[in-house]
Amino acid sequence: MPDSSVKARCNLFAVLRGIEYLLDNDAECKKLVEGTDLAIQFNIKDGPKGNLSIRDGKALMKSGKHKSSMILYFTSPEHFNKMIDGNANPIPLTGFHKIGFLTGPFMKLADKLNYYLRPEGDLLSDPDYFRMNTEITAYTAFFALAEIGNHDRMGRLSSAAMPDGILQVQIEDGIGIFINVEKGRLTCNKGIHDKPRAILSFRNLDAAHRVLNGKLDTYTGLGNGEMSMRGFIPMLDNMNPILDLVPVYLS
Amino acid sequence: MIDTVYTHTKSMEVFERALKVQPAGIPGHLGPVQSQFIPTSAYPLYADRAKDSYFWDLDGNRYIDYMCAYGPNVLGYNNELVDNAARAQYEKGNCMPLPGRVQVDLAELLCDTIKIADWAFFMKNGGDATGFAKMIAHTATGRDKVVMVEGGYHGVAPWTQAVTHAGVTEDDVKNNLKVKWNDAEAFERLVNEYPGQIAAFISTPYDHRVFTDNVLPAKGYWQKIRRICDANGIVLIIDDVRCGFRLDLAGSAEYFGFQPDLACYCKALANGYNISSVVGRDSLKDAAAKVFYTGSYWSSAAPMAAAVACISELRRIDGARLMIEKGETLSAGLVTAAANEGLDLKISGVPSMFYMRLTNDDSLMMQQEFCAECARRGIFFVSHHNHFINCSLTDDDIRQTLEIASEAFRITARNNPDKVNN
Repeated sequence: MPDSSVKARCNLFAVLRGIEYLLDNDAECKKLVEGTDLAIQFNIKDGPKGNLSIRDGKALMKSGKHKSSMILYFTSPEHFNKMIDGNANPIPLTGFHKIGFLTGPFMKLADKLNYYLRPEGDLLSDPDYFRMNTEITAYTAFFALAEIGNHDRMGRLSSAAMPDGILQVQIEDGIGIFINVEKGRLTCNKGIHDKPRAILSFRNLDAAHRVLNGKLDTYTGLGNGEMSMRGFIPMLDNMNPILDLVPVYLS
Repeated sequence: MIDTVYTHTKSMEVFERALKVQPAGIPGHLGPVQSQFIPTSAYPLYADRAKDSYFWDLDGNRYIDYMCAYGPNVLGYNNELVDNAARAQYEKGNCMPLPGRVQVDLAELLCDTIKIADWAFFMKNGGDATGFAKMIAHTATGRDKVVMVEGGYHGVAPWTQAVTHAGVTEDDVKNNLKVKWNDAEAFERLVNEYPGQIAAFISTPYDHRVFTDNVLPAKGYWQKIRRICDANGIVLIIDDVRCGFRLDLAGSAEYFGFQPDLACYCKALANGYNISSVVGRDSLKDAAAKVFYTGSYWSSAAPMAAAVACISELRRIDGARLMIEKGETLSAGLVTAAANEGLDLKISGVPSMFYMRLTNDDSLMMQQEFCAECARRGIFFVSHHNHFINCSLTDDDIRQTLEIASEAFRITARNNPDKVNN
């Protein structure tokens, strides 16, 4: 049974963070926010607070309270989670003059997120779509992993056992995600770190896609060479139980 | 310069078949993931045959083996004395409706060999032994809790695993209490915090956990643990499954100068035949008798005959001393070979079960590179676990090992110029 507060954190800091990727990689999305300069503050009672800014054609999700153009209030983590599922509306507290962005471009961005995260029909046969689906799924999964490792009761037991250092996840010739582990606290970042302590890598996009979608188990992938690991393996050993919790929160 | 680099085409062909019909391809600790075969392609996945200190993979490559099947190979693979004893018993009868006389022969031999043993009980695996010892402690004390050392390994039964591991529930581990290795004061604090509730303290004789330097007991540590157990009616269990008969034939506790109440044995007990044992003091014999603990094959006679032959031979040749000496020679040679390439190789643990790690980086990546280069040239080391010496290891095996290790250190140093000592 997922903790609704942890689920809200995953939705805010992993799923909604996908807008960063959309603006970096989808021309249509970039056009949607042309000339936009605003920041949306998400305040969830008894839950996380986050700030999504959109300016200069780029998005940035930050944790906590920051300067904003509008504040969206949610009465509970469940309220926020329902909004992410499309079954509830936020309560705007300030920035009413920006409501047009919320009901217009922002909704289209949300639809695009859904489009890339939930493939329908034969969309995956398009190589560009396949790449974007895999990359945005990877970002979402590992940013959610950090939230689960920091806040879920069982996740915290695993993250507490993770030795300090940088855990690098990478798709060879593709994107990288690194998790900074410090005293059981996980911080997820995009990119390739120059001094990782452990590395989990996927041989190609296809291998990453199948692992992230439950079509290739990690033991098989590591055995047949589609995945590899090296470095201080206790970091990966203790990350795996958290990774197993990701579908519980993102399904 | 060693030119031959092994390939593993046939191993991979079989592994591809296995992946379709076996979870993880090779389940358990011998699989490429659990064994830390990094990269998998550097290592063989299946063995075809073995003799003395060597095994051959499906592609015909020969390896000098320092994992010894993770411990059971203590006299040398396919040791004739042991195999002949087992074969003779197989011909007479193995799994029968009654135990063979050899069960008593083996119990007597263990009581005569292991210092604290007044009785012996037999089962199949190390985990069977630690589980039985724990049940004896619960029976004898009427208490629920067990104190374990953080990172200690006592098998794969749910109570021995972390609650975050697949298949383990919170109820499985709710009576476990943990202390850090070598911290007798922490144990004393737990005893005061849970008065009259702790049944047992279970630990390996020294800290030989994976992925980290192994640590011997601090001076007076075991004696203090013994005193706390005595003062509080706590059963002291030594998990001697991995160390047993490689430190001291009278028990690893004897090597470190203390006496546990129960000791668990497996690996080196029968040179590869499937048998394990719990031995104990007379004061716990009744409790052991009360615990219903058995299995279809636990009284099979052939592994017991193998154990009698194995322990007798280890006694005859003073096997523990022999393995420690061979381990010392090998360890010293490896440290020198590494230093010649500007690398710091740290050896820890007892030499017959040495753990080694290149300290030039803290990620084990260089250690993994080194082990992989050795595997490609016929030396079977793994990067995360202690190694094992067996009695059949020859001076020539050690010489060949050092020759190949030197080459592997050279390659590792060349690939990591920024981490090599000046």
